[in-house]
Amino acid sequence: MKKSRLFVLLIMLMVLSLAAPAAQKVPVSFNDYHGYTGTVKYIKDVAAAYPDITELIEIGKSGLGRPIYVLVISNMKTGTTIDRHVELRHPRNAEVKEVFHQKPYEGKPGQWIDGGMHGNEYTGTEVCLYIIDKLVSGYGSNAEITSAIDAKVIYVCPVTNPDGVFNSVEREISQRGNGDLGAAKDGPRDLNADGHITQFRFKDTKGTSVIDDKDPRLMVRLPASDPSTKPRYIVVTEGQKPAASGARPAGPAGVGASIDVNRNFPEGWWTDESFAGGTGAYPTSSPEAHALVEFVVNHRNILMTQNFHTSGGFTYRVPGTAPDTALAAKDVAVYDLVLGKKYLELIGEKVPEAWLKPEQMADFKTKLRGATKNKYAVERGYEMPRGWIMGYNEERDQRYGYGMVIDWWFQQYGAYAVTTELWNPANDIPGFPKIDPQSQDRNEQERALLKYNDEKYGGKLFVAWKPFKHPELGDGEIGGWIPKYRGNALPGEPLLGVCEKHWQFEFFRNGLLPQVAITEAKANVLYTSNSAKEATAVVQGDQVTIKKGAAKGKYKIVEVTATIENKGPLATHVARGAQLPGNRDDVVWLVGDRDKTKFLQGEPSMRLGVLDGQMRIPGMTSGPGAASAPGQRGSGGGAPPQVLPQMPPGMPGMPGGQRGQRGQGAQSPQQTGPRREVKWLVAVEGDAPLKVIVTSQKGGTVVKEIAVK
Amino acid sequence: MNALKYHKLQRSSRRRDSVHGSSRGANRRGQLTALSLRASWRGNLVVLALFIVLILLPTPTPSFAQSKLQKSPAGYHGELDFPISWKRYYTVDEKNQIMRDLQAKYEHLADIQSIGKSRQGRDQMLLTITAKSTGKPEAKPAMWVDGAIHGNEINGVTCALYTAWYLLTRYDYDPYVYDLLNRVTFYILPGLNVDANDSYARYPNTANNPREPFRPMDDDGDGLFDEDPTEDIDGDGEITNMYAEDPEGAFKLSLDKRLFIPVADPREEVQRFRRVGMEGFDNDGDGRINEDDLGGPDPNRNFPFDWNLSNGRPYPLSEPETRNVFEFWLAHTNIFGSFHFHNTGKLIMFSAPPAARVTMTPEQQRTLQERNAQRLGEMRKTNQWAQLFDRVVDPAYQTDMTALTEIVTMGARILKDYRPTMSGLVGQAQAASYYMLGAYASLIELWSLPLDADENKDGRVSDEEMLKWIDIELGGEGWVTPHKFKHPDLGEVWIGGTAKKHITRTPPARYIEEEALRNCQFVLYCASQFPKVAIDKVEVKPATDNLLWVEVTVKNAGIYPTSSDRTVQLRKDVKDKLTVSMSDNVKLVEVPEGQTLLDPTNPADRVLAPKGKSAEFRLLSRGAQKFVYLVKLDGSDGWVEFEVTSKSGGTAKKRISFKQ
Repeated sequence: MKKSRLFVLLIMLMVLSLAAPAAQKVPVSFNDYHGYTGTVKYIKDVAAAYPDITELIEIGKSGLGRPIYVLVISNMKTGTTIDRHVELRHPRNAEVKEVFHQKPYEGKPGQWIDGGMHGNEYTGTEVCLYIIDKLVSGYGSNAEITSAIDAKVIYVCPVTNPDGVFNSVEREISQRGNGDLGAAKDGPRDLNADGHITQFRFKDTKGTSVIDDKDPRLMVRLPASDPSTKPRYIVVTEGQKPAASGARPAGPAGVGASIDVNRNFPEGWWTDESFAGGTGAYPTSSPEAHALVEFVVNHRNILMTQNFHTSGGFTYRVPGTAPDTALAAKDVAVYDLVLGKKYLELIGEKVPEAWLKPEQMADFKTKLRGATKNKYAVERGYEMPRGWIMGYNEERDQRYGYGMVIDWWFQQYGAYAVTTELWNPANDIPGFPKIDPQSQDRNEQERALLKYNDEKYGGKLFVAWKPFKHPELGDGEIGGWIPKYRGNALPGEPLLGVCEKHWQFEFFRNGLLPQVAITEAKANVLYTSNSAKEATAVVQGDQVTIKKGAAKGKYKIVEVTATIENKGPLATHVARGAQLPGNRDDVVWLVGDRDKTKFLQGEPSMRLGVLDGQMRIPGMTSGPGAASAPGQRGSGGGAPPQVLPQMPPGMPGMPGGQRGQRGQGAQSPQQTGPRREVKWLVAVEGDAPLKVIVTSQKGGTVVKEIAVK
Repeated sequence: MNALKYHKLQRSSRRRDSVHGSSRGANRRGQLTALSLRASWRGNLVVLALFIVLILLPTPTPSFAQSKLQKSPAGYHGELDFPISWKRYYTVDEKNQIMRDLQAKYEHLADIQSIGKSRQGRDQMLLTITAKSTGKPEAKPAMWVDGAIHGNEINGVTCALYTAWYLLTRYDYDPYVYDLLNRVTFYILPGLNVDANDSYARYPNTANNPREPFRPMDDDGDGLFDEDPTEDIDGDGEITNMYAEDPEGAFKLSLDKRLFIPVADPREEVQRFRRVGMEGFDNDGDGRINEDDLGGPDPNRNFPFDWNLSNGRPYPLSEPETRNVFEFWLAHTNIFGSFHFHNTGKLIMFSAPPAARVTMTPEQQRTLQERNAQRLGEMRKTNQWAQLFDRVVDPAYQTDMTALTEIVTMGARILKDYRPTMSGLVGQAQAASYYMLGAYASLIELWSLPLDADENKDGRVSDEEMLKWIDIELGGEGWVTPHKFKHPDLGEVWIGGTAKKHITRTPPARYIEEEALRNCQFVLYCASQFPKVAIDKVEVKPATDNLLWVEVTVKNAGIYPTSSDRTVQLRKDVKDKLTVSMSDNVKLVEVPEGQTLLDPTNPADRVLAPKGKSAEFRLLSRGAQKFVYLVKLDGSDGWVEFEVTSKSGGTAKKRISFKQ
């Protein structure tokens, strides 16, 4: 890759203008793309420089053997998990070599951010690196960031498709899927050895392009029927030959067909007719999707996820494979009225009126009736704004695609997943002309970008057309945009702007995570007894009457009470909550010395249900009961999509099964909202201390020790 | 169909010519056909002094001639060439050693490989069995056989391993096996869920566990993973029931003190017991026992087709054991059929084609069922094994349904007390095999509670009946007598009063081989019905002086079509192909392409006039296709040669020579 002097100048300007914070131990700049190699070097450097707040994990390897990394950002000295507090006796470990150890940060609320799932959409990779830099260099100096890293965990996977990003950036072969497009026999290659794979254009009467009148560097597509007498050209990627009409360019060789990783996930992968709809031989057949899914299902603490793509400057929420009726009303409100509202504010787009006045939603619905053909909009009360949409095409009642990652995140894992399509020159380049999207002149934006390239980059992002004699296609010219600057935020100022905006959005989302706490835990010694069996308690409603035994004895009969509260804004699960297979209720344990603690009332572990958050979800009038909408649709792995059966209580082997009734029975099962009061009666021998532990999959695990005096 | 007919069927479809070097069969039949020149119905009778000689071109001959051919059922079939006891279960290491030894001894027939590693790092060993001298394994249609995807169903391991042993030891002796291995490949994976298979074979377990691969899973939702499994707390090698003395309990000891029986009379003054559950500790101290056993998802709900999160979580092919298998399938497109051994219930389950998208009223459904029941009754008057299923299949899949019905009818005949039925979808291996690969898939549920133990014929085997059966048939071994034990968490408990594990789900040692033999025979029968193409007859009809009509019929001798309906729907089918070549002085004369009815009085006599020198088609179940060519013969001598090639049905060639 050629280094331009201008870039060096740009770098210097950037460094000056940004004035890196003092804590930035690993400098990072955004004057060009890092690609796979630069990204790996950066995150390795960060992991080495910040061992106390990061961990670098290789979650798998790409089809061509490149490691896929997740950088875990969290204070490695804080956090705990329940398995560290419960003593297991007589373990049957003869057959089980692999013991499942949870890491301390798995006991913290988590957020996931990834980029580069489509290889040629690496703006997201840059935003990931920017976010990493903000977090690690802000730790210790910025109070908000510090507390986020102490109490939460952020998983960043900057390149989910290493082969695609490597080819797109390092080799300048624009590649969406995995594998190696450059390995194809007729794949792109640098014919004139100028260091770039650009385009080859040659005159041909059957061509569909002509030279643009206003800027001869650009080509304009003309339909065959156009009467223009201008010379017609065929334009192909350098090294490739024109595809037979209708055929797609050659796929990569060596690793089978290139798989679009973002169509390779298990949700909505099948067509309604039971045939493959997504890519690959089966869902998660690509090593990239497999690595991501396997890592994620073993880290159940994630509630917020971002899957960065380019371009367009808007965000997809779910669903993409099913209509909006697949979501509970509460989740729709969280998505649109909380997340969407913030996003629109950040990108400077008007927030729909209905989002600002959710209490008037019924009126908005009435107004929409008759005004739109979109029945889902009527049901919801508003049309989706340009900047915040779902993949599903509501007007045509048609899914966007098959097997997208965010649908999987939400429907099969239970996270508020979004895909932001980064980069919209009109929004992200200051002073960029506002181009009418209806304009017939398709080159308007292109000319403006070229102008920007001329002014800000000295024209270096575009290679001037030069004559070239193609061995097979004959005389023509090679030139055009350097492909890596296409479709992605231009480096330097525009990219920095995109990064900053989306860092703010992601950090806002971080602030919404649930956070369970034990606000109070007390041990009240009622009396002592010589026998644990002597104590009895009579329970009437919430009242426990203790029948006292002897005044002195070796057992202390102790009433333990604890108040547990979710201090975070959102509930500890999406609306489907613990019903989603793999999810569970929040649980409280009371743990003491097993030989010296007898439970008289209450059980060692009890289920708390799902703790609501502190935030009043706009438009949601009642408690969490209103959250589970009847329209809940199951994880339709197969086709036709199946309705997820409600798990019958008492079904063994299922969370919510056999122990649910027993566990919840002792404590007020009716408790809702963000708080729970729990109570036990235990006989404790001696002064053995007790521990109350609350463990919530997505709300964190916290411990409080209680001295028995 | 009876056994005799079944054997005849086999023999008639066998390639005799190359084995015995005689010119019987096809050769002679061909000559007869050529001589029976009949006048064309058009009436343009032309007398030709034409001699036609039919030559059967040599097909690949196995270099290992069957030197030890055994024709008598009383004879020796090679069993002791590789002696092995089928009266016990093997651990994974022992089984792997047997596989390696088999491969080493029968190198000309077998390859061995690991298709991948399990979660705990065990190899999933696979034998590829075919006569290498007749072609590479991947060039022949293949039967996949696996056993014990559910860890505890290890008689499936035995059935798969037995099939490998049966094929390998008999190849030199048994003409049926010889023919089979000359044209079919077997991929045999005895033990799919190797970690759990090994646990079940080596350690104390209940009859039902461990079923899944060992992915840690929080079954009880308390935040801990697999923390409270069953255990053999008294160390007697069995995990059975625990009972506690309880004045309110519903059980008492039987008179012989060998089992717990319900207290019938509530006033009875007797020592009473309550059932606590299976043997185990309270490992995590939460007051409950065995509430979070080892193991993750059901591996047979973990395949991608019709997968759902509830049954197959966390995601399709999440387990290395299932993923390795499916990746192997994807890489071996020659797999034509598959067998998956499970237990229990004695069922022949098959992946049935999808139902037609018609909605029937309950009334229509009932009518259909009644009509089917009536038809089945009629059918069973002539064939007691006849089968009929209440499924109206999508018309595009009728060939598959018909072929599968015929196959499982024979399955019922071979396996006798096994009942054919359609299998489910929801992420099951056999559903993926049929619906994603287009392979004909069968799931066998082996073994069941010994039904002859049901002495009072009330349809169930009571504890007393089971105990009696164990006493008589197993000499008393197989029962755990109740005994006291001091439980660290529960105090004094009684353990026992239950059958041991190799009784209800897996057969006791002495019954293993009988089960394996019958099931092996059914696998082999299915493989014998893989498509087998042949050029049936060639007829020559003079048209004019030097123009000849040449009619050629190609046929498939197998019950299975040359590609399944599902393969066609998946657009993965490879068409059968007939190509014609001829001597320089013979020219093909173009005739209008398409179906022709040469003889209007016989609508069955359809011929296809193909365009050019090759035709593509699909031969159905025992199907035939007739083609007609018009050729022009210049001079006195010449020849025309036909070759039919089928991806799964093999190849065949025939040449006719003209002499004037």
